[in-house]
Amino acid sequence: MIQQLEIDGVPTLLAPGSGPMRAGLIFRVGSADETLARRGITHLLEHLALATIGQADYHYNGATDQIFTHFHNQGSEAHVAGFLTGVCESLQNLPMQRLEVEKEILRTEESSRGTGVMDGMPLWRHGAQDYGLVSYREFGLHMIGPDDLRAWAGRYFTRQNAVCWIVGDRVPEGLRLPLPSGERRPVPAASSALPQTPAYYASGSRAVALDAVVRAGRPAAVFAGVLERELFRTLRQEQGLSYTADAAYDWRGDEYAHIRALADALPEKQDAVLGGFVDVLAKLRVGRIEQADLDATVAKMEESLTDVDVDAKRLPSYALDLLVGRPTPTVDDLRAEIKAVTLDDLRAVAGELTANALLMVPDGLAADWAGHVAAPTRSTAPVPGTPHASREGTGQLLIGAEGVSYVPFAGDGVAAVRFAECAAMLCWPDGGRRLIGNDGIAVTVEPNLYYLTPEALRAVDQLVPPDRKVFLPPRDPEDIPVAGEHVALATGPKKPAGALHIIGMLLSAVGATLCAGFAALLAVALLMEPGDDELWIMVVVMAVFAAVLALPIPPLWRRIRSS
Amino acid sequence: MPEPLPPPNFTSGAAYPEIGRLRIALTAGDFATVRKVFAGLDTNATTIAVGTATDIGGIEAALGREWQADPDDALIGTLLGAHLIQAGWTIRTAALAKYVSREQFEGFRAYLCRAEQVLIDVTARHPDYVPAWAKRLTSARGLQLGPSELRRRYDRLAAHDPHHLPAQSSVLQKLCPKWGGSWPAVQAFVKECTDTAPPGSHNAVLVCEGHLEYMGTLGSKKKAVEYLQDPRVRQEIYAAAERSVWHADFTNAVGWVWVRATFACLFSLMGDHRAALTQFTALGPYGNASAFDYVGDGEQEFVRYRAEAYAKGAA
Repeated sequence: MIQQLEIDGVPTLLAPGSGPMRAGLIFRVGSADETLARRGITHLLEHLALATIGQADYHYNGATDQIFTHFHNQGSEAHVAGFLTGVCESLQNLPMQRLEVEKEILRTEESSRGTGVMDGMPLWRHGAQDYGLVSYREFGLHMIGPDDLRAWAGRYFTRQNAVCWIVGDRVPEGLRLPLPSGERRPVPAASSALPQTPAYYASGSRAVALDAVVRAGRPAAVFAGVLERELFRTLRQEQGLSYTADAAYDWRGDEYAHIRALADALPEKQDAVLGGFVDVLAKLRVGRIEQADLDATVAKMEESLTDVDVDAKRLPSYALDLLVGRPTPTVDDLRAEIKAVTLDDLRAVAGELTANALLMVPDGLAADWAGHVAAPTRSTAPVPGTPHASREGTGQLLIGAEGVSYVPFAGDGVAAVRFAECAAMLCWPDGGRRLIGNDGIAVTVEPNLYYLTPEALRAVDQLVPPDRKVFLPPRDPEDIPVAGEHVALATGPKKPAGALHIIGMLLSAVGATLCAGFAALLAVALLMEPGDDELWIMVVVMAVFAAVLALPIPPLWRRIRSS
Repeated sequence: MPEPLPPPNFTSGAAYPEIGRLRIALTAGDFATVRKVFAGLDTNATTIAVGTATDIGGIEAALGREWQADPDDALIGTLLGAHLIQAGWTIRTAALAKYVSREQFEGFRAYLCRAEQVLIDVTARHPDYVPAWAKRLTSARGLQLGPSELRRRYDRLAAHDPHHLPAQSSVLQKLCPKWGGSWPAVQAFVKECTDTAPPGSHNAVLVCEGHLEYMGTLGSKKKAVEYLQDPRVRQEIYAAAERSVWHADFTNAVGWVWVRATFACLFSLMGDHRAALTQFTALGPYGNASAFDYVGDGEQEFVRYRAEAYAKGAA
């Protein structure tokens, strides 16, 4: 039985369970509530709130995800009460003296955390906003000060925006949850960086992955289990193409959930894994879903509900439902909902999944043949502005009142960021700037790579709103781009101009001058002594020769000058 | 002086009356008859018939409508997929890549993508429908999907029909160096297919195909003829004939004209006119130029070598 109480205005859930007392305090805030320029503020706040808890002689931890921040511990009644009360007090009176130390710890945590194959997927789906921010580093740590943290705490860490859960026989004596008053913060709406779906993108990983947004609920959760069984059986057991082949259901916190799946591949088998993956999705899309897979998945889910401690185990997830105002079914309800899932329900999920699927394919492969559109890697058009040529002669930077763009001289590959749509501008002391748009597309403004005037650089600095700027510490000199080396957004490195370019330009110039001179002399001679009219044709021909020979001079000169 | 031989009939499918009926029905949009004719064909014949029907123009829209009305119809889906592939190749033309424009390549790929999606659907609904998998081998080649995907598709197909010659021939093409493969891969695949095929089946013609592909890279007919003097090569070709055209169980199932004509071509180039003659005789009024295309204008070469076999092989 789950009991719902209230402690100091905080909704509190209580369920009995075996073992020591466990409890948690969850706030409805996470990385999806942040901006790219202040990315990491929730995580930093979570760390600071725990910083004064001191050396642990009992188990406690904190976790920040996309929309929730969770403090939890286990131990004696007194410890549990002390921990939860301590967290609330600490949130109201943050130990700012620990700020720099905690930032260092977070940077260390970030650098030592391994990168997952699917880490980049949220960025491709959502861009550099809300649910896409999780793909980015915690840039904001450099910019967050005590006032920002207090404001963040005041907005989100309130009793109306929290739920407490306790596994034990009773509420521990003396438990207080002193939190300020505020309001319940709704789950942020999800942005999309995908103009068309189903879509795909290529990544450096040797794996095929899927991300799809479907209506949250038991059918989608069961579907993820069925998809996993199908992928594992097909790609691993039958065809021996993959080692890992799994799928998961991930509730987003609103009416939607992500279904994610992954299959790894040896380099020489990547094509086949993609093909097999596409065929598994197609099989489910056309409705050929095995009853045995449905039954097995339902049985597995039901089994997890038979645990004697079932209410205690599901208490945190029950608390999340409560916090976002979702229905909170009983175990019997849950069991009934799971058992009620039919093949037709799964077919409906398959239809939703197909319509907005995002596939990640290994580099060098495409999924257009499977009906997936390439996700955008470039902007559709530049934002108008004054051109500044790149020193390598590959393209130009346009700096205007509304934004900056990079336009290559050849091929497509325009990148544009509007100041109004700028998620963050990274600023280095050496003058380098990187503007990242809400859609995830970035433009680099590097004084070493473009002929930029100080006024142009100042204009960019002035036009980007202050809350979008991130001032970073000096870069490793190795990381400062130099003309002639690789340029991130250029179409490809170009060799600097050599002797051949200079000789070519001189020959063109000499040839053009000779032809033009000859034409002019002949014209003068004909004007002074009119004679054979056919000689005028010669004048025209020589003039055209001169013009043709002069054509290559401007590009060659640009090339020579830029090196 | 023997009587001059009548000109051979090179019309695709001429030897198979059912394919003729099928072409008439398809041209007329008479899908009831189309289904009836296909119902009488085995898997190999179905794939071949689908292939020979792709040159009928102007039926793509009708096929599309028919398939939309019943997406569960594997045959119609496969015919549509095959048509879209052919439409793509018509845009691309068979020219070397350097002579194909960017627009042509884009049109080609767009058609192949459409074809592939129809065929993905067909194989998802009917994983055992071999002719659709066979077409997915063709589309994979045009879409430049990698060798492991080609192999996966072939394995899906072979799980339901391990001796499907049209598919094997398609895979053999992709295994050639011109498509990024290698000669050892070609040899291994040919061996894998012919060793397991039932005696008397058509599959051993793959041995000839492998050698013809190799000869095509030698640059001249003279070198090709020299290559065919290699005792190992000759022995392989004769062994292949023993397993197929010379075997008592060999039947004139759909595809036989191509098989016999291919052997006739190689026997002719080997200078074994007597062996060539037995194949030309068995061909009767029919001809197939595809093997002869490797040495020149296929139809002319066929006629020339046939006359030579009749002149020298009967002795």
